Amino acid sequence: MSRTKLAFYALAATLSAGAASAADKVIFQLDWLPGGDKAPIYVCIHEGFCSEAGLEVEIASGRGSTDAISRLAAASSDIGVSDIGALMAARANEGVKVTAVMSLFNKGPHAFYVAKGGSIASVADVKGKTIATSPFTSSNVYLPLVLKDAGIDMADVKLIKADPGALGPMLMTGNADGIIAWMTDLTRYSNQGKEAGKEIIALPWSAAGLELYSASLIASDGFLAKRPQVAARFVTAYKKSVEFAKDNPEKAAAAVTAIVPELSSEDVQGSLKDTLPLIFNEVTEKDGLGVFETARLAETWHRVSEAQGIDPVKLDPETMVNRTFAATE
Amino acid sequence: MQSRTPVAFFKQVLALPGITTIAALIGAVILWEAAARLLSIPTYLLPPPSAILGSFSSIGFERWVGHIAATLRVALIGYAMSIVIAIPLAVVMMRSPFLSRTLYPLLVVVQSTPVVAIAPIIIVVLGAGDAPRIVITCLITFFPLVVSTATGLAATPPELIELSRSLRASGFRETTQIRLPFAVPYIFSALKISITLAVIGAVVAEFCASEAGVGYFIQLSTSLFKLPQAWAGLLVLAAMSLLLFQAVVLTQKLLFPWSVPKNS
Repeated sequence: MSRTKLAFYALAATLSAGAASAADKVIFQLDWLPGGDKAPIYVCIHEGFCSEAGLEVEIASGRGSTDAISRLAAASSDIGVSDIGALMAARANEGVKVTAVMSLFNKGPHAFYVAKGGSIASVADVKGKTIATSPFTSSNVYLPLVLKDAGIDMADVKLIKADPGALGPMLMTGNADGIIAWMTDLTRYSNQGKEAGKEIIALPWSAAGLELYSASLIASDGFLAKRPQVAARFVTAYKKSVEFAKDNPEKAAAAVTAIVPELSSEDVQGSLKDTLPLIFNEVTEKDGLGVFETARLAETWHRVSEAQGIDPVKLDPETMVNRTFAATE
Repeated sequence: MQSRTPVAFFKQVLALPGITTIAALIGAVILWEAAARLLSIPTYLLPPPSAILGSFSSIGFERWVGHIAATLRVALIGYAMSIVIAIPLAVVMMRSPFLSRTLYPLLVVVQSTPVVAIAPIIIVVLGAGDAPRIVITCLITFFPLVVSTATGLAATPPELIELSRSLRASGFRETTQIRLPFAVPYIFSALKISITLAVIGAVVAEFCASEAGVGYFIQLSTSLFKLPQAWAGLLVLAAMSLLLFQAVVLTQKLLFPWSVPKNS
């Protein structure tokens, strides 16, 4: 997209936001159930950033990154959040018409959770241990890579697949030496550990050398092509909401609980606190919020293609991102 | 006047309908609570009944009503849709051996396909909203209705059919005035099975995609490690199934009292 076009969209966004009598409807697709890690979209709605941008946003919960990508590809939803690794694989294998427009997690959220003082103190210690994971987490894709980096063969780890809700109890009862979960759940697992009289620690894979983009804002190509002004306004409002959540975590948590009263403020704040370091960190300081830096994007694809056994030439990662929408201010 | 002994009174109480079931249930709950407390079972493994009851109030009444209404809406519309499809289909299959031979294997294939496996595909195809959830519920509920109705229609005594034909009754009259009334007990047996399946179907659909409903609530609670809240949702589902089942039983008693078995 040329800069002239971009300027046009930005101008159109400003004008239409002010003049819009009827808000543009946007269906936002989550990759999982509501929670603190999804706070920005709730902030966007509750704090009025979306309505100020002339948008009426409806949130659809998802059941995993693949589910979210499928629904965007089928145009059931317009824009949403998903793991970019899953999108890369879907683009390379199936050619899905979905594009990433803004980076959210510039570090992978994947981690081993273990009990402090147990048999695992570092990633290298998982050799010969029993590790529990949920069947559909994207972390499973990267596990062979993080093990390989630590000099461990997959066959040296006993991997158990279990429902996500069963992972914590398996760790607490000692049925598993460690579990695989996201850093966004650190507070929840720590609280569960306290109840069991155990201190739970996380061993993030990013610290073990797995440097990649993860959760990203992605949109259906049809939405971007047919309603580019709406997409531009949405991305701007969403970015504003992400920054608001960082500066006002309590208000952000209140926004989530106002829309989803089943969630407790304590849970949401804990999850949001765990999530923010995946968005705001040294990578963000260097590259900026929401940026897809070329080398890191290429490294992400290199890791994804290696992990999934996909020929790297099947996808040029630059063709599946569109940086112009996040650059619109 | 003869005074009643305590033993006789106790026997009379035990003879009250449902009393033994309620007593067994209360006993199990007391045992469960005592075991949870005495053995200090953590709530993330098995929450005590008191914690489950407490979690009912942590969710506002309005929110409960919203979730229950969402599940009920899908379950009842899916159930109604399956009745509308299944009974005429069974009649058509009874009237036409050709259609019966053609459709029956297809129905078995549909029933043998795990709905849980195809639910995500249905949701992607039909998009957001109630439509995919209603279709999933209908898929789960309609097979018992078709089979039972077809069995009931076919089980009409041949002498009644011969009599109607000797009186030159039309095929329509034969179906509506002889075969269908004869099939009513069969249809209601299937309706009782299907109403509980309708709740299961709605929950399966909510597990795949939804923003409200008791199934969604249970999934959300589990993802947040709020086991007592998830158990509360389970209790609501059980109560919902029980009430819907009783509603079908009552409907049969009110509308077709002659079809109710004498010893039921």
